[in-house]
Amino acid sequence: MTLFNKEISPIKAKQKATSIIVSILRWAFLLLVGYIIIYPLIYMLSVSFRHVYDFEDQTVVWISKHYTFDNMSIAWKALQYPIGLLNTLKTEIVSGLIEVVSCSVFAYGLARFDFKEKKLLMFFLILTILIPTNMIMIPLMLNMRYFDCLGILKLIGNIIGTDIRPNLLNTPWAFYLPSILGVGLKAGLFIFIFVQFYKGMPKELEEAASIDGAGPIKTFLSIVVPSSGVAFLTVTIFSVIWHWNDSYLCEMYFTNSDILAVNLSKIYNKVSAFGLDQYANSSSGAVMAACLLFILPMLIMYCILQKNFIKSIDRVGIVG
Amino acid sequence: MGIKIKKKKRGVEALKSRYGRLFVLPWEIGLILFFVMPIINSIRYAFSDVRIVSGGVDTKFVGFKWFDYIINQDPDYLNRLKDAVGVFLVQLPIILALSLILAIVLNQKFKGRIVMRAIYFLPVIIATGVIIDYLSKSGMIIGATSGETAGTYGNMINFDKILENLGLPDELNELIAGYISGIFNLLWNCGIQIILFISGLQSIPDSLYEVAKVEGCSKWEEFWYITFPMLGQNILLVMVYTMIDLITTRKYIMSMAFELMSGQQVYDKSSAMLWLYFLIIGVFMAIILAVYNKLCLKRWS
Repeated sequence: MTLFNKEISPIKAKQKATSIIVSILRWAFLLLVGYIIIYPLIYMLSVSFRHVYDFEDQTVVWISKHYTFDNMSIAWKALQYPIGLLNTLKTEIVSGLIEVVSCSVFAYGLARFDFKEKKLLMFFLILTILIPTNMIMIPLMLNMRYFDCLGILKLIGNIIGTDIRPNLLNTPWAFYLPSILGVGLKAGLFIFIFVQFYKGMPKELEEAASIDGAGPIKTFLSIVVPSSGVAFLTVTIFSVIWHWNDSYLCEMYFTNSDILAVNLSKIYNKVSAFGLDQYANSSSGAVMAACLLFILPMLIMYCILQKNFIKSIDRVGIVG
Repeated sequence: MGIKIKKKKRGVEALKSRYGRLFVLPWEIGLILFFVMPIINSIRYAFSDVRIVSGGVDTKFVGFKWFDYIINQDPDYLNRLKDAVGVFLVQLPIILALSLILAIVLNQKFKGRIVMRAIYFLPVIIATGVIIDYLSKSGMIIGATSGETAGTYGNMINFDKILENLGLPDELNELIAGYISGIFNLLWNCGIQIILFISGLQSIPDSLYEVAKVEGCSKWEEFWYITFPMLGQNILLVMVYTMIDLITTRKYIMSMAFELMSGQQVYDKSSAMLWLYFLIIGVFMAIILAVYNKLCLKRWS
């Protein structure tokens, strides 16, 4: 028995050796690349709490010799943090959540029903993904400034004699309205993800529900929505993160409200108002602190949801 | 008679199609209001003189005046366009390959996979254009892709010093430093792509790999004959996503047009700039997608 074992062991040993080598190589690769990815986060943390003295000190690399909360407090004030956070939640995050709901509904219509214009609508869906919002930003902004529905309001205004077209700039409606209508930030991609997911779902459940007398709307609410939690989670996380990070549209639509992303994109000017030279090394402490404050809520959300998120990515099958 | 019967759908079908329309009706309105109309308007602005008047804008058709101006009289535009197209063509394949490799590695089963994945998805959260800009401004990363010469990799790792000590010629040093910082920027653009690829990899049935193992395929063959073809649609989606991501980053022409638009409120010239840019990039996009469709998707299906 022992002899037999000895005979077979070289092959096993070889297998074991290769598997060890593979896993060592894998870890080396992953750690190296992972280091590059996580590096900016460590850098932000390190610089945010660094005292002015240490910026000129060549010996300070990772760990500062003097710690300070000055950078943080400047960044806090420059970002208008509490108000900015509240405004961002009220406009960006709410519209991000609205977008998830509306996109899921429209995607269901595209995935499960047949009607004449469907091909055309699918074509437009691809177009909305392909043509970036940046291309049409000017008319979009003008559209928000003088909001109108195919010239109807202008016509009425001409008859009455006063301009009744509302100005949606600087109001959250500039974000809500496109989100409700499913044409907000990256909505095309979200609808696409939902369509692919619904198409991959077995039809039998829905058919059974409709035989039992449930209408399409009830079927959607009580069968489809509860069984597509994975898709909802993925899209919600993407939507919230992209809305949070978006500064293009924010800068266009909000010229005088405190939105975190807008304040962050003007942070160099804002920081210099606190007596920091924006070209000096030391101002990067406050700037990095602002970046850290900006990503902090998303980081917390990510930490809470990441396990579910990673699992959902395994199962959502975005391309079907 | 026969045609009449054909035209009239059966009751349930008609009801179903009516419900389908009901589901997408708001979206159709949104498409017209916030997509089709703005596109038409934006193209109109590119071909006209736009003046801002009270109650909107006043447009006067001028033909190709702005395009002519941009191409023949604005040297900055053509240079930026060249840079943008160059970066687009170089970065697209690298990002695709890099994120596919990372996705395959992260998709393998090993201990600590969850932690690793959590780290690799971080760029999705942090990688906004603004923050990357600040990081490079503060000296942490060098904007090799934005045409600046390579500097130091922050004060934490001094790649320049290491490279100097190697005794290589200066041009080579600069090239290597450029690549190192380039890798950083590229890796940070890979977050979503890795996620999309992993979700695609998960949808490939295990049985295919088992068959391959029984038949005695090498890992390399497994990749080329199973993984790669099965990811066909997935690669298409990632490709499209990456393309859009690359052309909308706030650099080159995007930043130029944006400044004109929001800073100086010049709507006509900036529209023309954007559309010319999109047209030229669009030609490249169409060629790449067509070639991919012909060479890969058609063969695999």
